[in-house]
Amino acid sequence: MRALDRALLVARRELDAERRQPDGVAAALTFAGLVVLLESLALGPGRAHDPDVASAVFWIAILFAAVLLVSRSFDRELEDDAIDAIVALEGGRDALYAGKVLALAAVIAIVALAAGAFSIVLLDLDVRLAAHLVLVAILGVVALPPVVVLVSLIALRVRARVVIVPILAFPLLAPQLLAATAGTSAALSGDASAALGWTGLLASFALVYGVLGLTIVPAAIE
Amino acid sequence: MIETTASPLPALRLRPWLGIVATALAMLVSWMGLLWAPTDAVQGDVYRVIYVHVPAAWLAYLAFAVVFLASIGWLWTRRPWFDALAVSSAEIGVLFTGLAIVAGSIWAKPTWGVWWTWDPRLVTTAIMFGMYVGYLLLRGLSTDFERRATRAAVLGIIAVVDVPIVHLSVLYMNSVHQLPTVLRVGGDPSLDSQMGMTLGFSVIAFTFVYFALLAERMEIERRRQQRLLDVRA
Repeated sequence: MRALDRALLVARRELDAERRQPDGVAAALTFAGLVVLLESLALGPGRAHDPDVASAVFWIAILFAAVLLVSRSFDRELEDDAIDAIVALEGGRDALYAGKVLALAAVIAIVALAAGAFSIVLLDLDVRLAAHLVLVAILGVVALPPVVVLVSLIALRVRARVVIVPILAFPLLAPQLLAATAGTSAALSGDASAALGWTGLLASFALVYGVLGLTIVPAAIE
Repeated sequence: MIETTASPLPALRLRPWLGIVATALAMLVSWMGLLWAPTDAVQGDVYRVIYVHVPAAWLAYLAFAVVFLASIGWLWTRRPWFDALAVSSAEIGVLFTGLAIVAGSIWAKPTWGVWWTWDPRLVTTAIMFGMYVGYLLLRGLSTDFERRATRAAVLGIIAVVDVPIVHLSVLYMNSVHQLPTVLRVGGDPSLDSQMGMTLGFSVIAFTFVYFALLAERMEIERRRQQRLLDVRA
């Protein structure tokens, strides 16, 4: 079996588990929706409508949702001891990492789509460059999982894992957060060249951390 | 398979001498920085913070680069010495990153008018600080020696990606932070020669302080590892 097939198998298994028991997605969607609601309440409709503010709150919500989702995913693995079986297979560690990254990207995309639509409607955002916005959103979604999954694997059997994963992941994800926020704001405001510039940065970070993860992940998994 | 003894490195035999040289150099640069170097025409005496701020920032980079190399060393060889080097350097790096931030903040108030500003370089330095505090927290939450060392090594390699971002941010992002004064691309250092010499000596003195602290901390870690290995044996 090729490496890509193994990764796709893990991703499919992950998505099946999420479909059968969608508590992680439900929690992430509720959380992201609540953040958008609370933003409007806390800042007032005038400031919440600002593209910079709306973009920042949206991506912070997605970041927390990603941590929530990956935490639920690894909880499930540890409850069933399923992770040991995958790790024991030849090439299982790489497949575990790549599969989790792919599955998490797919689930975050669903959450981002719902939360994005919710934000646009609720905050009455004016989308000037829809295609650019979609491109930034896709690359933003792709840029988060390589880091979140890698950090979760490092902290897999650590005490207080729920606390340590965001502490480790958020500083590493700061450039991605900045790029996604600035790119989204640029797309909302109609600045095409800035939006494309930030997508380039997001793609670079996704690539760097993806390659780094695949290189280093066999050592990270116990 | 890890080694069953945490043997000391020959370089650690220089330990007492490192402390003496570091203390002597620290006294020399204190005199140079406070008395010998001229007062700046624009900033007055407040600029003298540079003799702490810049070397502390340099040590932060150095310390985290050492963490990176030691992490690779641990993953490659599984020799406990590399893990001792990584944790010792990380602790010193966190200390000096904190010192660089505090010294920079003290310098910023009279020159920029604020203690802190959301300048990219300041933010990324603070992020780097948070990242290595996280590194130390991760180590603290792990009990098994080998697992702790491996987890920390992986994080030590990932985190170093942030260090070039910190340095390059001042060049490529809009920044109120001044451009590099000494290591400038395609130009001579923009400092007065006496100031430059004092800064150079400060960097050397701080580097000796780093190695002196590193040697002491590694010795503590080596003994701790030896106790763990004795218990295991």
